[in-house]
Order: sequence, then C-alpha cells, then structure tokens
Amino acid sequence: MYKYVLRRMMLAIPVLLLSSLIVFSLMRVMPGDALIALMGESGNVGERELAKLRGDLGLDRPYVEQYGLWLWQMVSLNPGHSIFTNEPIAVSLRKAVPVTLELAALAMIIGLVIAVPVGVLSATRQDTPSDYVGRVVAVSGLSLPDFWLGTLVITFAAIWFHWIPPIGYVSLWESPWRNLQQFLLPAAVLGFRLSAATMRMTRSTVLEVLREDYVRTAWAKGLAGRMVVYKHALKNALIPVVTIVGGQLGVLLAGTVVVETIFALPGMGRLTVEAILYRDYPVVQTNVMLVAATLVTLNLVVDLTYAWLDPRIRYR
Amino acid sequence: MLGLHARLNRRDFVRLSAAGVSAAAVLGRGRPAAAASPYPDWLPASTKPPKRGGVLTRASAWDPPVIDPRLTQSVGLFQFAGLTSSRLVRYAFPEEASNAIDLTLKGDLAESWQSSPDHRRWTFKLRQGVKWQNVPPLNGRELVAADIKYCFEQYAKEGVQSFTFREIEGIETPDKYTVRIHLSSPNVLFPQNVAESVTVIFSREILEEDGDLKKRLVGTGPYILKEHTRKVRVVLQRNPDYYDTGRPYVDEYVILSTPDAATRLAAFRTGQSDILHVASLSEVETVRKTNPGVVVQSYHNTLTPFGLALAQDRAPFNDVRVRRALSMAIDRQKQVDTVFEGHGFLGWGIPYIYFQDAMPTAAQLGPWWQYKPAEGKKLLAEAGHPNGFETTLFYYEYFPQMTSQVQLVQQDLKKNLNIDVKITKLDYTTYYGRYVEGKWDGLSWGFQSGHAVGLDERTYMYMHSKSTKNFFRVNDPLIDELTTKLRRTPDRAEQRALAKKIFEREHDQVLRMWMPYDNGFLNFQPHARNAAALAIRRTDAYGSPTIARVWLDK
Repeated sequence: MYKYVLRRMMLAIPVLLLSSLIVFSLMRVMPGDALIALMGESGNVGERELAKLRGDLGLDRPYVEQYGLWLWQMVSLNPGHSIFTNEPIAVSLRKAVPVTLELAALAMIIGLVIAVPVGVLSATRQDTPSDYVGRVVAVSGLSLPDFWLGTLVITFAAIWFHWIPPIGYVSLWESPWRNLQQFLLPAAVLGFRLSAATMRMTRSTVLEVLREDYVRTAWAKGLAGRMVVYKHALKNALIPVVTIVGGQLGVLLAGTVVVETIFALPGMGRLTVEAILYRDYPVVQTNVMLVAATLVTLNLVVDLTYAWLDPRIRYR
Repeated sequence: MLGLHARLNRRDFVRLSAAGVSAAAVLGRGRPAAAASPYPDWLPASTKPPKRGGVLTRASAWDPPVIDPRLTQSVGLFQFAGLTSSRLVRYAFPEEASNAIDLTLKGDLAESWQSSPDHRRWTFKLRQGVKWQNVPPLNGRELVAADIKYCFEQYAKEGVQSFTFREIEGIETPDKYTVRIHLSSPNVLFPQNVAESVTVIFSREILEEDGDLKKRLVGTGPYILKEHTRKVRVVLQRNPDYYDTGRPYVDEYVILSTPDAATRLAAFRTGQSDILHVASLSEVETVRKTNPGVVVQSYHNTLTPFGLALAQDRAPFNDVRVRRALSMAIDRQKQVDTVFEGHGFLGWGIPYIYFQDAMPTAAQLGPWWQYKPAEGKKLLAEAGHPNGFETTLFYYEYFPQMTSQVQLVQQDLKKNLNIDVKITKLDYTTYYGRYVEGKWDGLSWGFQSGHAVGLDERTYMYMHSKSTKNFFRVNDPLIDELTTKLRRTPDRAEQRALAKKIFEREHDQVLRMWMPYDNGFLNFQPHARNAAALAIRRTDAYGSPTIARVWLDK
C-alpha cells in the first residue's frame, strides 16, 4: 500500500511538470500583458516607459529563465507577488481558498444529500412516478447552466422575499450566521447541478448491483428491503459514484467562477479569471498548479477509497 | 411627466418613443441628436436642512485593480479616491451648480489661482489649515505647498498621469501656501487638467515609506479609507478633520464589490444598495415595479465615449471619401431606436458644452453624418472601390448593446457598400494591447477614456498628432493648429469658437466616426438626498466627490 502511494506520488511529478509547462506557455502565447491592462487605457504611458517597467518586473527576460525562476519559486513554496496588485500570491490564496473550499464542501454536501437518496429511490422504484420525477430532476440539473439558475434564484429571491444573501463576504469565524446566509444559496445552486450526474450514476449502478446474485441471495434470506439496499447493494454501487464525486470536487475548486460572480464571493474562480484577463502570469500559473496538485491528490484519494469500499481491491 | 409615464407600460412606452422619433425624423432634421427621456436629467438639490449620520451603501461593478493613483486611472479606484483625497481645484457639486452642464471650477485645496499674461506660469494660493487625515504616518499634519510640489513631480516622473504633468517645467513654493507652476508652453486650460478626478494629491510619507501607494491611500479628503478588501468591499469613514467643516454628512460609505448586474439590481431592490446605474429604459421599469419610490435621473454625459476608429494612416481609410462613404452608409438612428430603445444620442466627440448650450442636432453633425447610402456608394466608387472591399473590425464588449451595434454596422456596410467586415471580439487586455499600440489595420470600435472632461484633454490630448492619447490616429494639420491655438486662447468666447471649429473639422473629415450611445439612468433610494450627478460625472463613478454632499433622509 505504502509503496503504491509512493509510486503514485512519484508519477505525479511529471504530470505537474507538464502542467506547469502548458500553463506557462499558454500565458506567454496570449497577446497583451499586465502593464497594458493596467496602464494602456490612459494613453499617458509611452512604449519606452512600458519597456522599462517590463524590465523591472523581469518580463523581458528569456522565457527559459522566467520558467526556471518560477519553478524554483514553486518548489521553494514562495510563489512570489502579483504583477497587478503587488500582493504576495500566498496572501491572495489564503483569502480565496477558504471561500472556495467552503463553497465546494457545502455544495458537495447538498449535492450528495439530494443525489444518493433520490438515485437509490429511482433505482428501487424503477419506472414508477418517483423514478420519473427523480430522472427529470437529474436531467434538469444537467441542463440548467449555473449562470441562468443563479441569476434566477437571486432575482426571484429579491422580488418574492425582498431578500438576497448579504453582499460583502464575511468569514465563518467572523460571523457564522451571516456567512451561512451568504453561502447557502450559491451552494444550493452548485449542489443541484452536481447532484444531477451523481444521481444518474447512483441510479444506474444501484440498478446493476440489485441484479447481482448476492443481492438475490440476500432477498432470498428474507432480509428487510432497507437492509438489502443500504447494507449490501449501496456500498458496492458507490465505487463509480466516488469516482464522479472526486472529479467534481476537483472541478469545484477551479470552476465556480460563475456562481462566485453572481453571489459576489471572492473565491479561487474569480481570482483566477481576473488574473487571466489581466495577464497576471504568476497568479494564474500558481492557481493552475494548485488545482493540478489538488486533482492529482484527489485522484489518489479516490483510488484509495475503492479499497475501503470493496475489500477485494488491494494495492501493491 | 412621471405621472404620464406611470400609466404606460414598458412596451407602450417604447412604442410611443419610437413613434415619436420617427415622426420627428419626418418633420425635420433639426431635432436634437438625443431622444427625450421620461425622467429628468437634472435633480435639484434638496431644500431641506441636511441630516448627519447613517451609512450609504452601493453595490459596485468595479473593483480597484490597485489603489496607487500613479498607476491607474481605473474607475474602480476613482469611485472612492476622490473622497479620500483632494485636488487643487474641482468642478462644482450639484448643489452649487446652476444646471447639469455647469463646468465652473471651484477651489478644493487651492483657494484662488491665476496665470501670468503668457499663460505659462500658474500660481495657486492654498487654503490654510488643511490637515492630512489623522492616521499614521501623517497623523493630521498640515498640508503645505511642498506637498503639492512633491506630488506633481512624482506624477510627472512615471505612471499613467505623466503626460499631463510633463508639461510642467518647474514648481516653486515661495511660501507654505503658494504653489507656482511653470509650464513648458502656454496652456490656459491647465487648471481644468488639475481638476480632473484622477489628479488627486497623495502624501510624500507613504510613498517614501512603502515605495509605492499600493497598500495605503491617505489624503485630505472627506473620507478616510478604513478598509479595502479586494473583490469584497471598500469602507470609507467620515474624516472629522475635513477642512469643509460639517461635511461630509454620511458617517460611512460602503462600496460592495458586486460584479454581476443582476445581483446589483437585486441588492438595490432589497435595500442593500442605495445607488444603481442601469443602461436602459426597460431596466428602469423593472426597478420601478418593485421599488415604485425610486428616484430616477436620466443621465446625460456630454461626450460620446465610443466610435469606429479607422486606420486612417493607410489605404483605404486615408482617403476622406472612403471615410465619408462609410459614415453615410451607417444608419445610426436605427441603433438608437433598436439597441437603445429610443433613448440615447447619435454621438459626437468633443463635449458640446464647450461650444454650444444644447446637444448638437443631427443636422449639425454635417452632411457626412446623415444616413444616405446611395450617396455613400457613389463616393466609394469615386474613391476607386465600386465593388466594396474586405476589412476587419476588432472590439471589446464594454456593454452588451455594443455587440448589437457592431453587428448592425457590419450589416449596413455589407448591404449599402458591399464592404465585408470580419469581426473579432477580444478580451479586455488583448483589445487594449492591440488598440493602444496603434499598428492595426482596418477598423476598431474605439474609445476615449471616460475619466476626463476638460477641454484640453478632449481636444489637444486626444486629437493632436503628437499626443500619446491620439488613439484614433488623427493626423490633420488643421486640427493640430486649432488644438494648439486653443491652449493659448484665454477668452471664453474665442475658446468656444475654436472648439466649434475643431468639432466641425472633425466631422467634415470624419476623423473619428462616433456611434450612438446611451449614458443610462441613475436610480437612487428615496432617502438619498443630493446624490444626483452632473452631466460630467456619475456619482457612482468618477463623480464620487459628490458623495461628500449626500445626506440620508431617514
């Protein structure tokens, strides 16, 4: 087991290196740079002055040198400063990561709370009205985009209840109640979308497992329905569901920008997208590497979870 | 007017507006270039005695990229920098102004100013007893002439303000309260340049301690910057030591970073925001459905920020006949009627207030600005392009209506002149990079920066062939001559005459092809008093100093 984990960690190194090379190259291929974004509009800054400022920031150095320097900063866990704001990237991440983690965690909880019971219900009552309703909900979750659902939720909350989540993020430690008010609706919007895929997967895998011989044996032994479904069938049906959930968690860390924008939450999504738009190379590169590292780790955790769910699986 | 409007639904209103516009078009060409609005464009100051206290909140689309005024002229910063910091001179506040287009200069840190007869030396007498905000490292020390000297020298040294301040040859401070500025060439409009909302006075101590102004912004303005959390909020607290005793009235001004328009609308509806800007009449109606007490101002700026920029330094756009042909083939009124729901104006470059009192009429824009596609086609044939040509157009979508405008222009040019326009929509940074570099071919949806209103800025700086702000690549000897002459003409009447000549020359040569625009509407909660904007500045944007006069009636 330890050897397996170690091997996987070693394999992560080329993956991360490749990711770093891709994001570094993509950022350099994009036209424009942070100085143009910051000062270009004024028209007051001449080409010579811009060139000098680029020199001060090291943007005129050869790409190989820039890449090497950045890799060293990443390895030494000192990702440097934002070109745009001059804020240390570590500080920006300390502010943004907790927001996204909280949003992702709440969304995952809401998604699972909806998906697993409805998926199981759909499977155990196949082709009944409950199944149809469950399937419609799942298809809706897959088809309704975040920006549409989020906008609708905030608009109708304002019209019908004369209430929307308080704008202006406060941390969980600062004011738990206000923080919960701020996160509940966005997490519900994200959770609803996440629940769709998980629900579909739960339904189909539970259906498959319910047709297995050992489940038939359990029924034949006269076990209660709930016991058969939840103790014998569900645990085995969860392996593909865990794979999906692991992937979703990774996506949530980088892909909540729309919901963060609508609900004015200062998370990783907004930080990264703003950095891309303003060509803030160090911020984009660091954020992408953080997400890549998280995804690699999550994949490993998901694989290890398989062994816990299914004792037949052993890693060497 | 409001009563009539209340009885109409939106569809009726838009239909009637469109009908009115069409009828006016039939009846004559002398109508204003902007359609009438059911909402007033000028809200007089409240006659009630102001109340102290309360918190004013605004959900804002903008976030300051940095808070160093040397590095950005972004509205994100200047939606509050004009409150933390003062300028030498300023424009009138709404309660001091006689109408929405009153551009009278008032003293801010300076009490008086005058120039030498050759307009190369300007002397500003400072207000005595003005204190920096009582926060470290300034700790409430007195502002003196040396502070102004230091600040202006730093602006000239580097950053986005450098062009404006580089015309300063030297600064003297004969005593604590006198600043004498020597210019390299005569400029009668210099005080206007230092009244722009971006020319705020920052402190020597912070720049010397921190090396930049990215972390702290301390000034002499009515509000102290209490908190700035990027992408969350800006909190401004009343400065008790502000030189204008008794002001500001509101204790705290909170700007909440709210990038999504639907969320800003929802925040206003639920009372989380006191000021809301919307782009269209139909959006005002949406607000009024849930908030019937809302106070609406139809905001009319005095200039058009956007227009078609042509690569006029090379073929085919270096031929004035081609430029005129394109201009005549574009149906601008259709854009006003459809994209801007009948509200909005046809567009012009220099703020009209510098050469006449009312908005220019469609006829005043000149013959090349009328929609006459057949004549345009004839002109294009004369220029050697009877079968049209292919060109490109790149743009950044500043607001959703812009994409519709770009597409309408593409359709008009294809239909009327057989010009194939290949459109490229770019992200902000790519667009800026390409646009300001000025080496592109074909067309671009160009802009002039929104922060400045001064005549010098809008003529010499934007149109002189040697100016770095000449984004539209204007290269016209007469314009160079006129804009330079304007800087040496102190007489107001002569200034107006010269500005009119520049306006006429620009439109005759179609040097910048202005497109219709709508400044939209400002919505205020009923308890917000004196928050209306003058035509030059929106209260929620570069006109933020107005907030110093706002009070809450609740």
